[in-house]
Amino acid sequence: MAKKLLVAGMAAVMAMSAVACSNGNNNGSNASPSDAGASPSASESAPASESAPASEAPKDKVTFTFFNGVAGEKDLNTNETTIGKLLEDQTGVNFKIEHLVGDLNTKVGTMIASNTYPDVMIPDAAIEEVLKAGAFIPLDDLIEQYGPNIKRVYGPYFERMRADYGGKIYFLPFGPQVGDYMPDPNINQGAFWVQRRVLKEAGYPQIKTLDEYVKLVEDFVAKHPDEDLTGMVSLTHDWRFFATSNPPMHLAGFPNDGNVMVDVNTLDAKTYAGSDETKRWLKTLNDLNAKGLFDKSSFVDNYDQYIAKLTSHKVVGFFDYGWQIGNAQNVLKDAARKDQTQDDFVYFPLPVTFDGTKDQYLDPPGWTSNRGAGITKSAKDPARIIQYWDNLLKEENQVLKSWGIKGETYEVDDKGRFYRTAEQIAKLDDAFNEKFGFKTYDWDWPQYGTSSTLSDGNALAPGYQPEVFQMSLTEGDKTILEKYGVKTYAEMFDTPEDRPWFPAWSIPKEQGSPQQIWETKKDDLTKKYFPKLVLAKPAEFEGIWAEYQKEFGKLDTAGYETWYKEQIQKVVEVAK
Amino acid sequence: MEKNTALAASTMTPKPQPTGLRLFLKRLVQQRMLVLMSVPFVVWLFIFKYVPVWGWTIAFQDYQPALPFKDQKWVGFHHFDALFSEDRFLIALRNTLAMSGINLVLGFVTAITLALLLNEVRKVAFKRVVQTVSYLPHFISWVVAAGIIQTTLAPDGIINELLKWFGAIDKGQEYLFLGKAEWFWGIFGASSVWKDVGWNTIVYLAAITSIDPAQYEAAEMDGAGRLRRMWYITLPGIRPVIIVLLIMNIGYLLESGFEPQYLLGNGMNVDYSENIDIFVLKYGLQQFNFPLATAAGMFKTVVSFVLLFSANHLAKRMGQDRLF
Repeated sequence: MAKKLLVAGMAAVMAMSAVACSNGNNNGSNASPSDAGASPSASESAPASESAPASEAPKDKVTFTFFNGVAGEKDLNTNETTIGKLLEDQTGVNFKIEHLVGDLNTKVGTMIASNTYPDVMIPDAAIEEVLKAGAFIPLDDLIEQYGPNIKRVYGPYFERMRADYGGKIYFLPFGPQVGDYMPDPNINQGAFWVQRRVLKEAGYPQIKTLDEYVKLVEDFVAKHPDEDLTGMVSLTHDWRFFATSNPPMHLAGFPNDGNVMVDVNTLDAKTYAGSDETKRWLKTLNDLNAKGLFDKSSFVDNYDQYIAKLTSHKVVGFFDYGWQIGNAQNVLKDAARKDQTQDDFVYFPLPVTFDGTKDQYLDPPGWTSNRGAGITKSAKDPARIIQYWDNLLKEENQVLKSWGIKGETYEVDDKGRFYRTAEQIAKLDDAFNEKFGFKTYDWDWPQYGTSSTLSDGNALAPGYQPEVFQMSLTEGDKTILEKYGVKTYAEMFDTPEDRPWFPAWSIPKEQGSPQQIWETKKDDLTKKYFPKLVLAKPAEFEGIWAEYQKEFGKLDTAGYETWYKEQIQKVVEVAK
Repeated sequence: MEKNTALAASTMTPKPQPTGLRLFLKRLVQQRMLVLMSVPFVVWLFIFKYVPVWGWTIAFQDYQPALPFKDQKWVGFHHFDALFSEDRFLIALRNTLAMSGINLVLGFVTAITLALLLNEVRKVAFKRVVQTVSYLPHFISWVVAAGIIQTTLAPDGIINELLKWFGAIDKGQEYLFLGKAEWFWGIFGASSVWKDVGWNTIVYLAAITSIDPAQYEAAEMDGAGRLRRMWYITLPGIRPVIIVLLIMNIGYLLESGFEPQYLLGNGMNVDYSENIDIFVLKYGLQQFNFPLATAAGMFKTVVSFVLLFSANHLAKRMGQDRLF
């Protein structure tokens, strides 16, 4: 009897697992475009936009799947947001957005291997693989047929997009510049940062050179021996290692082109990983370390530990990119907003170079050519997607996606300038941005570049509009900006020169190409030797540097530089 | 009655014993319940452990994910050549073997010692507490454990503070433990012991309970002290378990784990922390070089297979219990 029961139990378990398996399969196939035309009923509810290009009138509602290869945001349907709903009313199209969970290459690899894709895809860093697999359909004809606004916005870049990927347009990168260039008043890019109290105590000196900066930090720590301060830290964790290896490029007066410094006149691309600039930078850190002013744990800490240190009030200065320290800086700023005395610990960006002449920290108008959104061969109705994108690129919709709705999230004064009231700014917290759709439509769609200007002269990005920026400043912000005689943080820095290829790191490199191998090997070398060089006894520095030079010399650096120069020349040629 | 049937059986002309296939089928019918119960596991094994072996073909191709199988370009042993001429792979191999070796030896010695000692503890409450405390770290994931280890070993961590307190080092001379490449194996070994020693004792403690208490009583009568009882009764009593576990672990010698090395590794200790799994991730998967990754995986499997069989054979030769 007992035996029979056992067998029956086993059979039940097996049957259940079989069901579970087949369920899994069903779900798998359902996730693909099959549920696209789910609700064809509500056709009459979608009024055609008045300024719609010569297109067939009202449309059935459809839902397309949209995979975004960047982790960290919520999955949602675009029509659950206010902006998305309005756009759905105009076009009848809804996107079901799925973000990456886990490893990008694994996820994309699975899609490629199974040959089923979502309708729209942003493969992020795996874009070369997706293109190689032939997953994106060429968009040229579709744009010709349905895309007057796409042509208007992307037209100036068409030739370059085609040149990059074998004569056809396979995806739309984000951020083509439209109208005048509007600089970011905040510093989201690289800078040498220092606590505000340091500048206050020193009487707001002009800090231009690395030596001045180091002296500033040293003096401050020396004056406050009881506070257990750290002079400088550096971020080295995993792929973020560039925060430690990039400064020589900036110190030499170049913007972030990745592994090369490009001469604007000759277009020569020079690597700097083994150059004198890098040696000088590491020697500086080595000296700081010898004096006990550099945090040794920099080379073993992970990103979270690093951010925690920046919020601890103990770190006097560091180099990093604004977008990487956002979390820490926001915590410090929020504290300062509540309590003015905390303003001392907010970090202030400084344009530091070796010789104190021209800095190029600010990004020139850029064009990231190897990231973007494309339509896959699994898509049932690419025309509708292109039409949606085209509609989104209309100026009124660009205003909608970045400023929102007049009277609700922004106001217009009698001169036609856009601004936000204090209440509106207070209302725009994270939760609101998510519900309204600012977060969903912030990036990741074919759209104007962030530094674009609308045809009426307003900035596309509210944060770039001087009126809005001024509203966001605290008393402490105003004081320090006034002391330096500037209105925005960006004014501390020099204007960026025109570099059509910028950023050079985005010039596509094939998987497994000599350029890619060079980069991998270089990364391995720098990750191994930089810590040694910085933490070495000063007397041993030269010896280790020579050893590093020997290893570095084995790489085909000349070939890498030549390849880059050729690519840059091509881009400049196309841009003319 | 019983006698009679036995007699009857012996006097009857012996029925021809079924052999070969017939015997197999007969046994199959006899043991159908057991067979039925094992079917799901065999199916599972086949689907998840044998079907994927088909993927080994990738190692011999210039593999392009999008192409159908028939269009792939075959390149023979090219990727194996590349693998074995790669310095980093040889370093990874050395690190893997070293860390597994450390793990194996330390793991066995500490677990068996702790089991023996716990077995001698007579106070049940104390024993329970020690046991629970010692196997708690096993339930912490490596991500968290690595955080704890990093904090402990940081320049301002407890170990450096202790060293300063004892006057072994001066302020400003703190050790950057995770930055000393050659110390990594030691740190890894110690962390693994801390994390797994309690857990590993469980199986030995279970084996010890199966030893007949009469043996201990007899030994005590003969005047054997505690150490002698441990040496002559407990250890021989759990020898079969030790040997089976040893053989199994030798099969895993090329699996030195992934998480601790990945999480504790950094640029400074990479020459000692990078093992085969990390090598595969870094140079295979992260660069879409699937053939290289597959080749490394195949190499691991084949070597593990050889090791397992040799260990088993050796045990057989020495007349010990063995796995199969």
